[in-house]
Amino acid sequence: MGKIKFNLNGKEINMFVDPSARLLDILREQYGLVGVKEGCGEGECGACAVLINEVIVNSCIVPMGTINNKSIVTIEGFSKTKRYDVIKEAFEDEGAVQCGFCTPGMIIASESLLNKNPHPTEEEIRIGLSGNLCRCTGYNMIIKAVKTASKKGEGLW
Amino acid sequence: MVKSFIPKTYKEALNLLAKNKLTIIAGGTDLMVKNKNISGLLPKFKKDLLFIAHLTELDYIKKEKDTIHIGANVTLEKILDSFHTHSLLKEALSIMASPAIRHIGTIGGNIANASPAGDTLPVLYVLNTKIVVKSLDSERTIPINDFIISSGKTILKENELISEIIIPDNKFDYEVFLKVGARQADAISKISFAAIANVSDSIVSDFRVTFGAVGPRIVREIEIENNIIGLTTNELNSRCKEICDSYKKFITPIDDQRSSAVYRKKVSLNLLEKYINSIK
Amino acid sequence: MSNISKAIKKVDSEEKMSGKAKYINDISYDDMLFAMTLRASESKGEIVNIEYPKIPKGYTIVDHNDIQGKNFVKIIFEDMPIFAEKEIKYYGEPILLVVGENRAIIQDIINNIHVTYKVKTPTYKLRDSVIHYEFEKGNAKEIFNKAKKKIQFDYSTGYQEHVYIEPQGLIGLYEVDKISIIGSMQCPYYIKNAVMQALDCDEKGVRVKQTTTGGAFGGKEEFPSLIACQIAIAVNKIKKPIKLIYNREEDMEFTTKRHPSNINLVAAIGENNEIQAIKAYVALDSGAYIGLSGVVLQRAMIASSGVYTVDNIEVTGDVFETNTVPNGAFRGFGAPQMMFAIEMFIHHIANELKIDPLVLRNKYLAKQNDITSTGGKFRDIIIMDEMINKVMNMSDYKRKLSEYSKEGNFNGIGMSWFLHGCGFTGSGEQKHIKALVKLRKEKNNHVTILVASVDMGQGIQTTMKKIVADILQLPIENIIYNNPDTDLVPDSGPTVASRTIMIVGGLVAQAAKLLKEQWVEGKEITVEKRYKQPKHIKWDEEKLRGDAYPAYSWGVNVVEVKVNPATYQVQLTGVYEVYDVGKAIDERIVLGQAEGGILQGISYGSLEVMKNVNGRIQQKNITDYIIPTSCDSVNIKTVFMDNPYLLGPYGAKGAGELTLIGGAPAVALAIENAINRRVTKIPVTPEYIMELIDYGKN
Repeated sequence: MGKIKFNLNGKEINMFVDPSARLLDILREQYGLVGVKEGCGEGECGACAVLINEVIVNSCIVPMGTINNKSIVTIEGFSKTKRYDVIKEAFEDEGAVQCGFCTPGMIIASESLLNKNPHPTEEEIRIGLSGNLCRCTGYNMIIKAVKTASKKGEGLW
Repeated sequence: MVKSFIPKTYKEALNLLAKNKLTIIAGGTDLMVKNKNISGLLPKFKKDLLFIAHLTELDYIKKEKDTIHIGANVTLEKILDSFHTHSLLKEALSIMASPAIRHIGTIGGNIANASPAGDTLPVLYVLNTKIVVKSLDSERTIPINDFIISSGKTILKENELISEIIIPDNKFDYEVFLKVGARQADAISKISFAAIANVSDSIVSDFRVTFGAVGPRIVREIEIENNIIGLTTNELNSRCKEICDSYKKFITPIDDQRSSAVYRKKVSLNLLEKYINSIK
Repeated sequence: MSNISKAIKKVDSEEKMSGKAKYINDISYDDMLFAMTLRASESKGEIVNIEYPKIPKGYTIVDHNDIQGKNFVKIIFEDMPIFAEKEIKYYGEPILLVVGENRAIIQDIINNIHVTYKVKTPTYKLRDSVIHYEFEKGNAKEIFNKAKKKIQFDYSTGYQEHVYIEPQGLIGLYEVDKISIIGSMQCPYYIKNAVMQALDCDEKGVRVKQTTTGGAFGGKEEFPSLIACQIAIAVNKIKKPIKLIYNREEDMEFTTKRHPSNINLVAAIGENNEIQAIKAYVALDSGAYIGLSGVVLQRAMIASSGVYTVDNIEVTGDVFETNTVPNGAFRGFGAPQMMFAIEMFIHHIANELKIDPLVLRNKYLAKQNDITSTGGKFRDIIIMDEMINKVMNMSDYKRKLSEYSKEGNFNGIGMSWFLHGCGFTGSGEQKHIKALVKLRKEKNNHVTILVASVDMGQGIQTTMKKIVADILQLPIENIIYNNPDTDLVPDSGPTVASRTIMIVGGLVAQAAKLLKEQWVEGKEITVEKRYKQPKHIKWDEEKLRGDAYPAYSWGVNVVEVKVNPATYQVQLTGVYEVYDVGKAIDERIVLGQAEGGILQGISYGSLEVMKNVNGRIQQKNITDYIIPTSCDSVNIKTVFMDNPYLLGPYGAKGAGELTLIGGAPAVALAIENAINRRVTKIPVTPEYIMELIDYGKN
């Protein structure tokens, strides 16, 4: 066991935890943050994506021992921001949501991308979302949504 | 249950390594998958763990006169974004895994993992990269092709840690990195290929070729390269088939769930042929 | 009437985006236990002995001895046991559950249970036929006896894994007088009926409730019935909530997949190069149990002439049992296999006869009132001519085809024509399902839709609400459609077979009209409608003769690719699709079906490799089983052409499966065009392309 200190959705956390434990399990089972999904358990599908220090990471392959002093934002935290509102509306307008299981991860990926590159080209969007698998949509409606969000959220990123 | 150590400093990490047999974990992108357990349970690590990703002493990219020095803890994405990074390495990183993986995977981890399908490796081999490893009381600098012995195996001793990699900062007339994966992104390589060449006055003055994922280790054959250096480009082009044939015995891929040996071998040679023909 | 096709915001998007939607693994109960499955480690044999470690207090083994009812999962064909008793028929077959509070302890118990087997020789080849069907249209046999010229090719298709991003999972709950099953599913009443049979109880004893479902594509049609029975038996024994969630590897190795197939097609060619008759033979690999395979085979066989009218057809098919993981429902349900084969075949015939494939295809393209393969009739207007023109213009097909066909050009373009029968095959709706829907007008004038159809991402909650809101002229917020709960909704049938809008939506629309007539402000009113087969539709289940489907949806796809001549990798460069789904109830929702469906079809045809070696699935995670990423997809141009179907709501027909079916033949034809070699199997992988370029024929 080890003491790990981190910021979770804006709150300072100090916890005793096995440092080899997966961040995903801690978020879901200890903090009830079940918007973070498990799709594959090996970093391939992106359903478990969260922001660590503002960039997208797959929480299923992050051991707790690596997050000391870092800031973690899950979909639950991000959904309270203005940026989320813009992305959300764009996803709705473009029909980017079907079964929804990949969606929180897609939104995290969109934020990570737009935060780094507020005006991405279509190719940059495709690359930015390439670690998030969606089996329903064929991706284009999601890509359009990110484009729309980038336009409508002018100045936010 | 295994014990975990989270040292405060690099020095402390070396101290811990001197006294314990530890699995070193940086970003964890490979080790967490290899030791995966079912959901909700701790990963199946067998040895105690040493966490190092937070050690800022190993997080730097700096340019010296003819070399670029990258700390072992620099993430793949940071290297991709750095102004100093060699264009060929950027090429490899840009199509490696996914943004989420690149944000936590480190260069030190990718090398220590020593997977023949690791996408930075062919490039690091072709650029004559050196690996600096340190223990509490020693330091050695080793060319990467001596550092990695075979799939998953390196000469890293139990008390050692990779501290940095040194990449000669050379420009080349010809340079190429190609990854053959099952899809356009987020794929494990079936084959990877990196090559450079310099030509002056129609003479090949430098020539290096590496293949990844076609055997237990990255394939680079210095002897063949030395035989090519000094040829005229015309000679090089006309001896293309002969050169490809000379690589045949070194390319020893396997059939697995991702591709076939026949395919891997044939495509490797196709890429080599295409590359040689591109040199004028 | 307002324009029903105009898109509205999906009613469930917000809760899914914010992470508030609760999928089954997001739900927990205080005293909840976990279950894990012990599986057979042999492909065929008998269990001789099971040796257990000491089982700690609070941990329970649940196996076939605990079953009160029949040890069969109630699916169409009852041959799959809930827990293996003695006989083992595939590697990974469930033997028992270990149930308890701590997952580490459960795992430890499982690792220390030792099963001894008397091992038998397994069969992996298509050798043992367990179902055989045949039918004939016209005088095919006679024509083949006399035929001077025959053209014949063999086609084969591989597995396809659903890869719904949410793995399988259910929770069982113990209530005073009943057992509840909640979870990820397509067919609440399939599960209810299966669990009733397993528990040997009446309908009051079982309640099934769907939770938000993270994709299904057929994979959650019949498979959840198996784990529901297991969980129900466990809950009945232990009397506590029990959760069973598959991890990805377990899901990929041991749940159903699309049936691999071998298809042999022969054409009898007359003196004027006309196709006199077609003989089709389909072999499906069912895996270790038959389950739905017979019905999948029927759909494949019925599709054997594709969109073409050929007067004489002889069709035979077999389902073969092998000692591999059972195969089952997957979007398209047998049609994608056959539609790939027939679309390739018509091109291969044209090439053999040295005539333009387009001319040959047009000559046989089905027209209204033509006779179908089973002797039924295409009663409705067919607008394929317009659709084909449209897609050819959109994609600049003719110019590209001629340019790409030049020697040394590694670009390729392919066009597939296809149809899909909407709803259950044959008399399924009338004889077996007898769908019933209800609408309840609440006192506050809100209206609740009571159907068993589930939203698994396809948008049915939005489209159903839209239909009711439009007919009753109410705001959409006043329509309620909760995830179905069998204690509250009637059996409107499973969410399968592209039947939900056409059949269930049709009934909902009728009920809404009825409610409108009976509307009284402030009063609670319930109306109901039950499915009645249109009188003109006749089907002989024994002989497979008559109208196999009440209606057909149609599609035309064009796919463009570029093949890398050094690596044989295929890059998609263009995708165009035109559909006749009658009428789109919501353009954007149907667009989502179209774009997602065609990408699944294209990757079925070119990317998705799954192999079974000695009974073991080789690609058992999503690192090794390749589905497309955002970088593998391209902008897709989609057009829907209205062709309202008289008996569908607003003219709507089926849409969900149709959109997958044309992708594989279109991409295979595009690759064929790019490399100038004959493609006869899917997926067309780079490894296969290499083989074709080196040794293939054009």
